[in-house]
Amino acid sequence: MTTRLYMRLASMVTLVVVWWLASLVTLPEVLPSPYRILQTMGKILTELGPEGNSAFFHIGITLFRIVVAFVVAMLAGIGIGLAMGLRRTVEFSLMSLIPLFLTIPTILMVFLAVLWFGFSETGSLVAVVAVVTPFVTVNMAEGTKAMDKSLMDMGKAFKANKGMMLRKVYIPQLMPYLMSAFRYAFGMTWKIVALAETFGIKFGIGYMFFFWFESFDMEQVLAWVLLFVILMLIIEYGVIARFEQRAFAWRRTFSAAAL
Amino acid sequence: MASTVVHVDKLTKKFPAPGGGEEFVVLDAVSLDVKEGEFASLVGPSGCGKSTLLNVIAGIEVENGGSVTVHPATESADGAIHVGYVFQSARLLNWLTVEDNIRFALEAQGVPRDQWRDRVTKYLEMVGLAGQEPNYPLNLSGGMQQRVAIARALAIEPDVLLMDEPFSHLDEITARKMRIDLMDILERAKTTILFVTHDLREAVYLSDDVYMMSTKPARIFRHVQVDLERPRQPEDPRLFDMEKELVREFFSVLEQTQDQ
Repeated sequence: MTTRLYMRLASMVTLVVVWWLASLVTLPEVLPSPYRILQTMGKILTELGPEGNSAFFHIGITLFRIVVAFVVAMLAGIGIGLAMGLRRTVEFSLMSLIPLFLTIPTILMVFLAVLWFGFSETGSLVAVVAVVTPFVTVNMAEGTKAMDKSLMDMGKAFKANKGMMLRKVYIPQLMPYLMSAFRYAFGMTWKIVALAETFGIKFGIGYMFFFWFESFDMEQVLAWVLLFVILMLIIEYGVIARFEQRAFAWRRTFSAAAL
Repeated sequence: MASTVVHVDKLTKKFPAPGGGEEFVVLDAVSLDVKEGEFASLVGPSGCGKSTLLNVIAGIEVENGGSVTVHPATESADGAIHVGYVFQSARLLNWLTVEDNIRFALEAQGVPRDQWRDRVTKYLEMVGLAGQEPNYPLNLSGGMQQRVAIARALAIEPDVLLMDEPFSHLDEITARKMRIDLMDILERAKTTILFVTHDLREAVYLSDDVYMMSTKPARIFRHVQVDLERPRQPEDPRLFDMEKELVREFFSVLEQTQDQ
């Protein structure tokens, strides 16, 4: 475990060193040094930005958009996916539509949503739902169909009621599918929201990318990108990964005792 | 005379044929009675509907004709009917600990919560897994998993315990040990058993009553009583003699049905 940690740290340090060396041989307007970016990040976080808005205002708006879109897309995907897995009629009627959505390039989907709904909250929400929901749907439908019928019969034989079946038999079997859908959905959602903001939805981290991009301020653009990445990594590894570890504790206890 | 716990009367079960053709008759007017405290076995070739019979008794599947009645055993505490089931594979919930797997059955059967702890301890100890409560099923060997499944079924203190080839997925040495242990367990738990197997030696070794089933038509064609004192020795020559006789009968029935 510790060797892995060292290797991770080493690769991070290498990246920063390469960046620093590259900044020595390029113009600061093209690639500012890591130290300058760190300074700029500090300034972004402590001082008011353009239009008199703080960084936390933009971060808050972006997170709000991500959470709303994520919840809507996940719930829709879970609902439709379960229906597809449990009812063949639903499966057959939707089966041909899903690949249609899955093949449209994400960036195009964002363009389309913005063209139809304008640079508004609805625009980014529609783009997220159009991209993420089909994927979640497919995952959940597969998970539902892969449930072990012999365990359902076991529950039936012991006369477990619907609530018990749901909590102790169905949901634990769906968890791996739910978690992979969750991870993908979260990753896609923040990318799409940032993209939609960059294209022109007012406020948010993406809006800041675009604002500084237009004024050719490389330091600010990179500092905002780094800020965004750090924020998403914290959510990814600090929240989602922890939850996953707890949910799948029963798997990791698997040991040589069984062999 | 002990009272009847399971009464199966002219039970018929059909499955729709794949492709929507003629229905396939899995059970054709099957009747049998299992008396309280008795160990009854149902023996027959694969696909003769033995498991289906257990599934109908357990309420997993619904009959197409005839009836199944399970009467509460005389010592039954709460008057409710409890049917325990041990399947071919353990069918444990891998995400729950051994203790929670047994509690699942206790909760499902409406056993009062204050009895759970004692029952888990008592029946795990009975199947030789004392202290395994906090372990997860994937940490246990196949034989141990099946023991947990037996403890789970016994913990609800069933009026009848249905066992569907419970040792067929285990290696022969483990299976043999499990059969010997099962005899000890039942000596203590005093449970009524309906046991399904295709292994005649297993059937005569374990049972008081053996019901022999044929395919096409899926019927019980013979009921034999095994009047050997317990504890029995697996190597008892009388068991071999019985097995040989029953095998002969199976073949003669098989030939008759083929001639038709």
